Amino acid sequence: MVSVVISSPAQFTKASLQATGLTCAMCSNAINKALLQVPFIESVKSDIKNSAFNIVFKQGQNVEIDALRKAVEDAGFSVGNLKMTGNFQELKIENDKHIEIGKEIFHFLNVTEQVLNGEQTIMVVDRNFLTAKQFKKFSSASKMSCVQTGKAASCCVKDGIAADARVYHVTI
Amino acid sequence: MRFKKITPVVALLFVAFFSHAQQKANIADPRLHINLPDAKGDSIALSSLKGKVVLLDFWASWCMPCRAANKKLVKIYDKYKNQGFEIYSVSVDDEKRDWVKAIEKDKITWLQVNDPSTWGAKSAVNWNISVLPTTFLINKKGDVVAIDPAEKKLETTIKDLLQE
Repeated sequence: MVSVVISSPAQFTKASLQATGLTCAMCSNAINKALLQVPFIESVKSDIKNSAFNIVFKQGQNVEIDALRKAVEDAGFSVGNLKMTGNFQELKIENDKHIEIGKEIFHFLNVTEQVLNGEQTIMVVDRNFLTAKQFKKFSSASKMSCVQTGKAASCCVKDGIAADARVYHVTI
Repeated sequence: MRFKKITPVVALLFVAFFSHAQQKANIADPRLHINLPDAKGDSIALSSLKGKVVLLDFWASWCMPCRAANKKLVKIYDKYKNQGFEIYSVSVDDEKRDWVKAIEKDKITWLQVNDPSTWGAKSAVNWNISVLPTTFLINKKGDVVAIDPAEKKLETTIKDLLQE
């Protein structure tokens, strides 16, 4: 059996994060402060025009996407949209397939088969990273159960991924 | 005997601590100093307003709750501006154009200064602002007497402070 998990030396450099909540997310310093506490974050700047926080990651550090979500939720808001930008080298992606980027496993949805080179931006489409309606749309793109749980479990172990491994669902 | 000797010292310390805790923030404090340019580029110092009842207001043009608050402030300002009441608004807008446009749209005639870079704005950091809008009501002596007073409370307190 051919494994589709390919380790890539790609590195995420920055992200654009939109937060949602009952009150004006950009009007609170809480998210800004919480993000600055995340160890792999270098800087955070409010991007008022796009109602987003522009995050720059520290060089050479592993970026844990769930830590971004946790920071926003601890500040009393939710993630409405998260776009991650990184540098890629000859990274072949296929629709509805898993691939390792850095230390994390990614499952690409709604994409055409392509090779990522240079700076590319991907959008996280996991539950709690976008609105419930948007999540429903993206999660219907795969029959694999990891779309619902974010964990590899039985659906993906055949690809050589540990059952309890976190799988991030993304699109371009 | 030893206890008796200590007691006055402890009492003094207690008084010192207590009075310190009671001390109000005053606009004469250099850490709270604000001196920023208005839309024309002329600097206005917050401390120059000593002797007036002042509402210090941190806001931004993109902050919708701030814009809603502006509408209410316009009415209060019109009512009390000739009686010694002033509003000193600090906008943390990065884009001067957006700030100026919002002043016109909201029909603001009170003092407006700009301190760009949102949460990095020095005045916002010094005044420990964590949410927009945040307002501070300041008496004629320059003491901060209320933070984020609600609309009704704001008006009654302004009336009281103007009598002082």
